Amino acid sequence: MRWSDPTLHLLFWPLATVAIYILAKRLYRRWHYWWTGPLLVTPLAVLALLAILGADYRQYMSGTHWLVLMLGPATVAFAIPIHEQRTVIRRHWPVLLVGVLAGSSIALASAWALAHALGVPDAVGRSLMPRSTTTPFAMAMSGEIGGVPQLTAVFVILTGVCGAAMGEVMLKWLPLRSALARGALFGMAAHGAGVAKATEIGREEGSIAGLVMILAGLLNLMLAPLVMLALR
Amino acid sequence: MTLAALRLRAVLRRTRLLQILLIAAIWLAGDALVRILGLPVPGGVVGMVGLLVLLALGWVKPASVRLGAYWLLAEMLLFFVPAVIAVMDHGEFMGALGLKVALVIVVGTLLVMAGTALTVDLLYRWRMRDRMRHAVE
Repeated sequence: MRWSDPTLHLLFWPLATVAIYILAKRLYRRWHYWWTGPLLVTPLAVLALLAILGADYRQYMSGTHWLVLMLGPATVAFAIPIHEQRTVIRRHWPVLLVGVLAGSSIALASAWALAHALGVPDAVGRSLMPRSTTTPFAMAMSGEIGGVPQLTAVFVILTGVCGAAMGEVMLKWLPLRSALARGALFGMAAHGAGVAKATEIGREEGSIAGLVMILAGLLNLMLAPLVMLALR
Repeated sequence: MTLAALRLRAVLRRTRLLQILLIAAIWLAGDALVRILGLPVPGGVVGMVGLLVLLALGWVKPASVRLGAYWLLAEMLLFFVPAVIAVMDHGEFMGALGLKVALVIVVGTLLVMAGTALTVDLLYRWRMRDRMRHAVE
């Protein structure tokens, strides 16, 4: 089989991606730093392999686009943690709702204002707006408000990595007394990576972070038509 | 419930792959609904709301999907790797634009963290104080 054979790319890239992902998770279990997380290492290693083998994006995508489709069932799966957290939701819903509303507004407004102040192109600015929410929701919202979903996927990762790293420092600076606030900080600002970090700090913080992450994703998607009106 | 149905349920509760297939079927149903009705939300979100309703009604027990659901959530990173690789087609981020984007992300994330955490903490303390006062009265 020659390297230019499309069938080879069809088979090789999904296998290589899964293998790199598994290795990256092992690596993180061994060396636990903020920059060794699979969130950052996996895409970088895939990019490096693509560069070494001289393959392009289209060849890569031909065999791996079905992996992105799996984000659909992953979104459905969020029903389980929501269902299991229903007592927490019932008890704290006003606080959670206002917190997520405030966080989402700040995320959307700060991305838009900073992007404009720095002269970032409009499509990139729009792709930056949903970056605080978890990937499936962020990509869906990006498409709704005129951004580029693939760019948003990259920004979401960068946000997660830097949010999980900065969150610990922020905890030392901010006078937070409740686990609710500490969890919300991570879940709202750094989605999945933040939830993982919050879980390291405490069980309650972790489950609140997960809940806030999902609520923020849903709320952002509901806000998308409003954002569209505001941007026009 | 018949014996066969009970046995099927027992298998479903142990088999992650079956649960993933069940969740995927719910997603496909949500996707079909979105396409037929022309809804402005992704099929995954409709499927999620559908599954929540099924769980609330007790038609689906959490144990029938829990293993599959937590697997999908834990491995979610793998699913968006191909989307991220699209950055290959965007060479324009090497340079000034890339730095600007990084600045937006860092400053924006700091603002979101501080704003969210302080809002939640303040509201939580108010509610607790309120509750204490009611308890004393």
